[in-house]
Amino acid sequence: MTISRRVFVKSGGVALFSLGMDPLFLARAALGSYKPLPPVAARCRPVLVCLFQRGAVDGLNMIVPHGDPLYYRERPRIAVPGTDVVDLDGYFGLHPRLAALKPLWDSKRLAAIHAIGSPDATRSHFDAQDYMESGTPGVKATPDGWLNRYCQHDREHEETPFRAVAFGPELPRILAGTAPSLAIADLQAFGLRAPQPAARDRLTRAFEELYAGSATGLLSTSSQEAFQAVQTLQRVDPTRYQPANGADYPRGRLGKAMLQIAQLIKADVGLQVAFADVTGWDTHVNQGASEGQLAARLAELGQTLTAFTQDLGDKLDDVVVLTMSEFGRTVRENGNSGTDHGHATAMLVLGGPVNGGRVLGRWPGLDPANRFEGRDVAVTTDFRDLFAEVLARHLGATDLSTVFPGFTADPTRFPGAIRA
Amino acid sequence: MKTRVLLLVATVAARPPVVGAQHAAPLQSPGGRALTPRDSAVHTLNRLAYGPRPGEIERVARAGVLRWIDAQLTPDKIDDKDLARREREFDVLKYDRGDLATLYTEVQRARQERKRMGDTAADKPDDSPIAVKGRRFAAQVQQLAVVRAALSERQLYEVMVDFWTNHFNVYVAKGADRFLTPDYIEHTIRPHAMGRFEDLLIATAQSPAMLFYLDNWESVAPGASPPFPLSARRRGGQGGRTAPKGINENYARELLELHTLGVDGGYDQHDVIEVARIFTGWSIRRPQQGGDFEFHDWAHDTGDKQVLGVEFERGHGMDEGIRLLKVLANHPATMHHVSRQLCQRFVNDDPPDGCVDDAVAAWQRTHGDIREVLRAIFHGPDFWAAANVRAKVKTPLEFVVSAARAVAADPDTTPRLAQMVARLGEPLYLHVAPDGYPEREDAWVNSGALLDRMNAAVALAAGRLPGAVVALDSVAPDTVDVQHLIAAIDDGILGGAMSENTKRVISSQLSDVTDPVQARALAIGLAIGGPEFQRQ
Repeated sequence: MTISRRVFVKSGGVALFSLGMDPLFLARAALGSYKPLPPVAARCRPVLVCLFQRGAVDGLNMIVPHGDPLYYRERPRIAVPGTDVVDLDGYFGLHPRLAALKPLWDSKRLAAIHAIGSPDATRSHFDAQDYMESGTPGVKATPDGWLNRYCQHDREHEETPFRAVAFGPELPRILAGTAPSLAIADLQAFGLRAPQPAARDRLTRAFEELYAGSATGLLSTSSQEAFQAVQTLQRVDPTRYQPANGADYPRGRLGKAMLQIAQLIKADVGLQVAFADVTGWDTHVNQGASEGQLAARLAELGQTLTAFTQDLGDKLDDVVVLTMSEFGRTVRENGNSGTDHGHATAMLVLGGPVNGGRVLGRWPGLDPANRFEGRDVAVTTDFRDLFAEVLARHLGATDLSTVFPGFTADPTRFPGAIRA
Repeated sequence: MKTRVLLLVATVAARPPVVGAQHAAPLQSPGGRALTPRDSAVHTLNRLAYGPRPGEIERVARAGVLRWIDAQLTPDKIDDKDLARREREFDVLKYDRGDLATLYTEVQRARQERKRMGDTAADKPDDSPIAVKGRRFAAQVQQLAVVRAALSERQLYEVMVDFWTNHFNVYVAKGADRFLTPDYIEHTIRPHAMGRFEDLLIATAQSPAMLFYLDNWESVAPGASPPFPLSARRRGGQGGRTAPKGINENYARELLELHTLGVDGGYDQHDVIEVARIFTGWSIRRPQQGGDFEFHDWAHDTGDKQVLGVEFERGHGMDEGIRLLKVLANHPATMHHVSRQLCQRFVNDDPPDGCVDDAVAAWQRTHGDIREVLRAIFHGPDFWAAANVRAKVKTPLEFVVSAARAVAADPDTTPRLAQMVARLGEPLYLHVAPDGYPEREDAWVNSGALLDRMNAAVALAAGRLPGAVVALDSVAPDTVDVQHLIAAIDDGILGGAMSENTKRVISSQLSDVTDPVQARALAIGLAIGGPEFQRQ
């Protein structure tokens, strides 16, 4: 439709402004007319928690193929000894610092997917992370993330501002897009800031009134969501939160993020999709074996996930935690007792709905003839197959073609991570 | 105050009104109301500048809006002493690509040392002097952009620098771009921001920053290998990069899709491949040492190529690329694509077709003189249409800078304002994808961001931002006379757009505040954090 240059009035949803007059839209007649959100029964509300291990985690030292002598031959200094490994199925085992997760494996609520990764061969951290978050490997111009596209297309759960939340200072690429999502660095600090609670409440009220009466268009709807979120959080009262069941989160950003996710899940505010990330996996130098750099990171991860599951208690029945990393690392150790950028890696799925107690995917083995470019574990499962399965079988997504453009999700290719 | 009505013409013919004319016939908006000189000044300062400073609306209205616009279109003739003085405090400007590369290498080396020593706390910040220096420079590069936008008299020029920085996006955190980006801003973007598009395009194509960011520096013809063995370090890789692998299409694709023709510009995958072949050999000499553009003959694909139906005969080496860039720069699809983006930036998120047509016509007429394209946009009726006034929402950068200008803040090298822009979602030079930061409001307006803007506004007005001394006296006197305060803020900051509701809320909030300094800070904080100020 062409708009003649002499037509100044736009059709469609854009507000018309006349200078000096009050705005035409007064969406809210009176203040304080927010209706509290009806609490959604936890049973009906599946939650997906995505945890991005940024830096390319070494899948081989996380889920260790201790049954393969090649593993030991290629990693004389950094292979995890068979005696230290926590055996899972006679061939694979957990890194000893992930031992805390063994009970989840035994109760069939933890599975691993090995040899998983991207069809794109880039070994650039930023490109590969970009592709894994945008959900379009090889395509750089995708403006939004796959989690946001899921939210765009499944509109059933959009009545709460807490539907999609990233825990961290900025909204990550995976949640970028037109569907509303929140980036929260600290639940306790969310909202207007003032020296005392009374001043804070007063300031909040002031801005609420400003926006309610003077905002138009997207500024109006977003500000309504904002104040709704603030109000909801006040009811949740994050300053008083105590993890349940003796859950002991480690200190640091990851522990804090997962604690807040658990808190929001239990608060029944409608959280459906949560995201957190953790760095420090790029172990080029001095990776360590049972102890060392990678071991320390895995210990934090294991302790956090364990605390998370304890804290959730029964609510874990409706929650799936999905770890991901942009690629893996070389099979052979390098000259600095570390590993370089590889291709396939390992991902974990954890939670009630998980088809646990097994290592999924199609393991290609470590034989040089089966490696990618002769050096890395080959990718036998496209990460989108796993993500699609989780969206479809756990969150109930029906149209995945819009979530992963250029990719046809095929249930026969799902790794089998979620119980049918 | 004198209110001589400045009347702008609604042209019947396609020609723009006479520049600087004070006597032209009125521009009629649908209700028959013309924009007053004041409203025109406000609108102009909101779009061509980063918002008004105290007293600026009057100054521009009195001088004549079209005259002011004219002057802004010739930035070289505008004196910018105060900014120049402030720029000298930014040490990072004294370092060239090579110096910054050396600094970066030292930081990396120090970090590897720590790891080798078995330091397992990978997330702990490095406190060594060299790492601190590296971080300080990185912060300075961002803060410098904010300071220039806030203090420069050449406002339109700074707006265009931001526009092109996004159009020709580079991600500063990707490897060598850490030390290639500052030079890219100073010597590629800034010198060409208001010249000819073709010159800017060619400059970006040859810039080490872009060549590295979109991987073209390592794109070589299939089977080509350097005539001498490259050491691992010269290959510029980390983690044992192998010999160059072949053609890399990345730059070619983004050149066509984002920089020139646009995604619907009529090219296909075959064209992308041919463009990539043309650019084989466009590389960098010693990238890890911050080297210059260098054309590698040995890497160049020597066959015939054909792009968009244009033949490129074999044997012309680097000239093929120059020729291709000129073809692209003057292609109708490019004119349309870039003009549309300019109209989106200056007029409306949904750019009106008439505006785009005017811009394209000016582009054709002047062979892509950016100033003339802009002039055509600013003289067209769409720019002045009431429906397009206050129709856009400020990006985080625009919000922070306009807030700083509104309170006459004097920002120094402390990176606080840049950090605020980052917290609101637009960390400068850190946009990962080549499409740059978006322009439409739906990318920026979300509940979390709005709350952050409110907090930022209150902190700024209360003078609680280190490194940004505010001068609220130039906005309004400290007083408990609420009506006086409100009038001053409405006049000076909101350009008369303050709604009755906002006046009522501010009055009510101030009703029991006895401290005049506090009253003023609160009123200004509410105004800047409120909905009217988010619009431009």
